[in-house]
Amino acid sequence: MATLFIAHHNLAALVEKLHRYAELHGPVRGDDGVVRFTAIAPGTLPDLSAIRTLLPPKKYLLHPQETLLNYTAEAGYQMPVEEVRSLILFGLHPCDLAGINYLDQLFLGDDPDPLYAARRSALTLVGISCTPDEFCSCHLLTSPLKVLSDLFLHVVEGGFIVASGSPRGDELLDVVKEFLEEREVVVPEDACRFFGHAAIEQVHPELDATLPEWQELADRCLGCGACSLCCPTCACFDVLEFGGLDGSSAVRVRQWDNCLFKCHAEVAGGMSFRKDRAERFRYRYRHKYRGFGPLQGIPACVGCGRCRVVCPAGLDLRPLAERLDGGHHE
Amino acid sequence: MEGTMNRDLPVPAVIAAIRPLTADTSLLTLCTEPCYRVASAFLPGQFLELSLPGVGEIPVSYCGFPAQDGSIELCIRHIGHVTTPLKVAVPGDTVGVRGPFGHGFTLSDYTGQDLLLIAGGLGMAPLRSLLLALLNQRESWGGLTLLYGARETGALLFLDELLELQKRGDVELQLAVDRPEYCLDGPPYCRIALLPALLEQLDVDPGRTCAAICGPPVVYPLLVSRLRLLGLSDDRIHLSLERRMKCGVGRCGHCAVGTRLCCVDGPVFSCAELAGTEGAFV
Repeated sequence: MATLFIAHHNLAALVEKLHRYAELHGPVRGDDGVVRFTAIAPGTLPDLSAIRTLLPPKKYLLHPQETLLNYTAEAGYQMPVEEVRSLILFGLHPCDLAGINYLDQLFLGDDPDPLYAARRSALTLVGISCTPDEFCSCHLLTSPLKVLSDLFLHVVEGGFIVASGSPRGDELLDVVKEFLEEREVVVPEDACRFFGHAAIEQVHPELDATLPEWQELADRCLGCGACSLCCPTCACFDVLEFGGLDGSSAVRVRQWDNCLFKCHAEVAGGMSFRKDRAERFRYRYRHKYRGFGPLQGIPACVGCGRCRVVCPAGLDLRPLAERLDGGHHE
Repeated sequence: MEGTMNRDLPVPAVIAAIRPLTADTSLLTLCTEPCYRVASAFLPGQFLELSLPGVGEIPVSYCGFPAQDGSIELCIRHIGHVTTPLKVAVPGDTVGVRGPFGHGFTLSDYTGQDLLLIAGGLGMAPLRSLLLALLNQRESWGGLTLLYGARETGALLFLDELLELQKRGDVELQLAVDRPEYCLDGPPYCRIALLPALLEQLDVDPGRTCAAICGPPVVYPLLVSRLRLLGLSDDRIHLSLERRMKCGVGRCGHCAVGTRLCCVDGPVFSCAELAGTEGAFV
């Protein structure tokens, strides 16, 4: 079957063309050696060989800190008027696309979050296939999450197979049509080794707290929260309000919060419902592998491997997940 | 439109009256503009998010009965970062409200049943809302018993109201305080005991009794085990859980109890729903 194909030597020109169409961001290796999603400088290419960025693309949808409300004595609380520029995110791996799909379900449900909805609608997602490394577990996952993108590039010999996933993707294809050719390409089977779509087994919602592994993991955990910070589906946020120095204005912000911190489950009077680290660990596990609230039964882990890469204590939840949920299998 | 607007954006509410209840607790009556009446249409057990501009926002249970005039009663203990500055608030000051949020007590489940309300400390606030709703249709329910415990007699909230109801025979009232006070006479019917002790001599028909509990988390396991000893099944025990709901709409992740969210699925849960859930109580 003939498919749309972009040859490697056309990539630079295609990126250049997209630059003129909208603001273009993608994985770029900085001078510090860190790969991060950031603006692709004109005349340069995104680092498409990098297996993962330090922070996931959730930072575009939920800023580490963002203004929820402004208050003035005259107008009361007002939602901020934020100019949202349209942005193409180029080079998203399937795990990150699935992560965005999870956040969409959380923030764009029956009662959409205004800030998230505005930013999400301005994003055009261009995905790309990749080959998992030893930290990835996407290819072992069974998950109901969908890998949705506007455009998806499938890496093959000599270039990429291109497929559109939305009307916006069709539009983008039209913009870059001069670089497309129709070709008979056979996709090698191992190029599809990402994100299984099989139904997950029904598991008991409660975790067996008596397993010794919880305490073993908790004893080694430093409680730094890095795993949650770099997780594409961790979306807990704290809400804070700051009074202005004029005494009559205020700003309310939300910022990334972390369930591994003691204060996460605190209530009035300093009482906490998750006092010890093993409890907080189980809470994180429950969220990542079993889901709660409206997304109960949908594992939030997309297998990107970031938590395993950044953990200073080298902790890995996979063996436990295999034992408890059987959701991961070779 | 106004219903959805009120979920993300606090609407102004003017403090119409402030009634001191105890040394550290007062009853605030808020008034909303007619266009924001949605904030005052609630079910007992639901909560709202109360904003104090420049300070922050906290979840607070409704304490009164849904009023036609759109007024909202909130019982505030001046002890936290938002409630302490509220101590110096005066009638006419404006605060912000979002809500109502959550799933309250389901009154239709209580039709024809004997009701046992168990309140500890500030837990009297949401249960007062339930009590007023029950009294509003008094003939729909069987016996109405309120067990109420506090630290000391001076900390018993709404005591005058409750004694009046007891006198009218609408409610059977039993009070307990943790410790005696030497300079004050205790109210009638008040025992010096911990709240679960009030359940010891209680005569209930477990097949037609529902219990509604709100109190400090530490007493829940004891109250639940005592109620089970009395023969109440778990689906007849309803508890209001305390969590810090920061968004109220199921996004921020702070109020998860097991796989449920307190702000959307609760704060009122039946004991059967919480069976085996780690961290539900303490």
